[in-house]
Amino acid sequence: MTTQASLKSVARTLLDVLTSLKLTIVCLAALMVLVVACTLAQVSLGTYGAVNQYIRSFLVWAEVPGTGWSVAVFPGGALVGLVLAANLIVAQGRRLELSWRKAGLWIVHAGLILLFAGEFATSAFQVESRLAIEQGQTLNFVERQRGLELAVVDVTDPAHDDVYGVPEALLARGGDVAVPGTPLTLRVKGWYQNAELVNRGPADPPTPATAGVGVGVAVREMPPVTSDDDMNRSAAYVEPVAGGRSYGTWLVSNVLGAPQAFIHEGRTYRLQLRQQRQYLPYAITLKKFSHDVYPGTDIPKNFSSLVHLSNPRRGEERDVLIYMNQPLRYDGKAFYQASFGKGDTLSILQVVDNPGWLIPYIACVLVAAGLVVHFGIALRRSMRRRGAAAQGA
Amino acid sequence: MNVKAASSAAALALLLAGGCRRDEVTHYRVPKEKEEAPAGLTSAAVTSAPPGMAGDVPPPPPPSGAARLTWTLPSGWTQSLTGGMRYATLKTPVTGKLDVSVVVLPGPAGGELANVNRWRNQIGLPPLDEAAMAKARRTVSTKAGPLAVYDFTSDGQQKSRVVAGLAEAGGSTWFLKMTGDEQPVSAARAQFLRLLESLRLDDAS
Repeated sequence: MTTQASLKSVARTLLDVLTSLKLTIVCLAALMVLVVACTLAQVSLGTYGAVNQYIRSFLVWAEVPGTGWSVAVFPGGALVGLVLAANLIVAQGRRLELSWRKAGLWIVHAGLILLFAGEFATSAFQVESRLAIEQGQTLNFVERQRGLELAVVDVTDPAHDDVYGVPEALLARGGDVAVPGTPLTLRVKGWYQNAELVNRGPADPPTPATAGVGVGVAVREMPPVTSDDDMNRSAAYVEPVAGGRSYGTWLVSNVLGAPQAFIHEGRTYRLQLRQQRQYLPYAITLKKFSHDVYPGTDIPKNFSSLVHLSNPRRGEERDVLIYMNQPLRYDGKAFYQASFGKGDTLSILQVVDNPGWLIPYIACVLVAAGLVVHFGIALRRSMRRRGAAAQGA
Repeated sequence: MNVKAASSAAALALLLAGGCRRDEVTHYRVPKEKEEAPAGLTSAAVTSAPPGMAGDVPPPPPPSGAARLTWTLPSGWTQSLTGGMRYATLKTPVTGKLDVSVVVLPGPAGGELANVNRWRNQIGLPPLDEAAMAKARRTVSTKAGPLAVYDFTSDGQQKSRVVAGLAEAGGSTWFLKMTGDEQPVSAARAQFLRLLESLRLDDAS
């Protein structure tokens, strides 16, 4: 057998495997296992953590007890989805006859492939944030629910602030972080994903902090939280350096409310660890939050936020009512009514930025249309056969 | 085969593009905003600190010596004394959304009116002026001295309630606060008031 022939043989075997129905069933079974495992893992990891570990990963990793090593124990949802999509595409191209009789099945398969593509697009590009806004308040930013930033804000200008956001990942990596657009470099001397901050006592070890509130505070590292309802109390020690001069080592934390600042060459820089922000080119004002109940009961009937949207760039000024299942879709973002608080004066909107949000809708329409077409064709054929049989009789 | 290869490559590229979103320092130039306390603040210790420059914001020293307050726990209540910025967390037998905390700060800690209005703000009520605050105040005599007690319930369907006592002892201000949904707070209120009445200075220290 020549090399070319053996290569062809290997390729054919691979193609057979890739197009086999067995592979489809194995993938579907693996997806079922992943869904069950992910559901159970939500107890310890929270929804977000479990989905990331089981569904949006290529491999599911598990720690080997006592070694600190992790090994891959199962294919993750992303890998299974990719294989299933490839299986569907190749099997369709190889097996399904290209004819009008099979038009419905072609459409159904196209819909399913689009559904997979949509999930990949969502996992890759979707950004979730939130807008917590009080009645009468106007905000021009949304905050990431997961993910902090060290905001270095140049507050010198009386009319504007220059906000430089150093993401949590850079702080976790440590070392020097240059802040582009400023003469500053931040030396990250410590990062704690979750920590308890307490007043420093005589028994506490010396603190790296030499400036700000951190001098009197001891940081005790804690394991990261796993529940969706809990929040990590992160902390970092950072030393701003500019023009060869150190401005001391500061403790920053998302639970420290006191803004801390230093002055370099006449410019005042404020440091604050906070939820990662995305500023918007428009502003939203909450005019009224309503929490309606069924008469005579405490059973919620409806939650709604009447907001005013102001976009000077587009000359847009209008009121929008956001209520359950009726989000405001604007400038690539969808604002959903998610929660509320402060005696019904605070509204919390979930903000979803997903460029591929239409794909699942289109995919479902395609699948439904494909099934209708296939059913119609099959019905027509069946009726013809019946007619022919009746004539023959 | 080409269709498969192209589709797989496209899906992989899509995924990698997402995975490779780099963590970069962002920059926004925004209109000046009012200084606001960030979300997630957990105690008066961190929320009441005034804005300031380097060294302007002293950390609260731990209460010590004759300044330390103690109390008698009602039946079924438990406490954890952390000794941190939150001096103590008390647990009640009442179920529901409820949090009882003890926070101690040096000096007047921003003043009574600022703290009362901060509590009101936390449950969505408008601020009071001095006169209105005096009307809302109830004074309880304790062995540690007089204690100002406030009780506020929010408007709206989902009512929140805060019952809080504020006492000055040994140069520090003590905040004993019970907050949460209206029903559990109402259920635990009588016992909480008895706890406030039992306040005394710790003679042992």
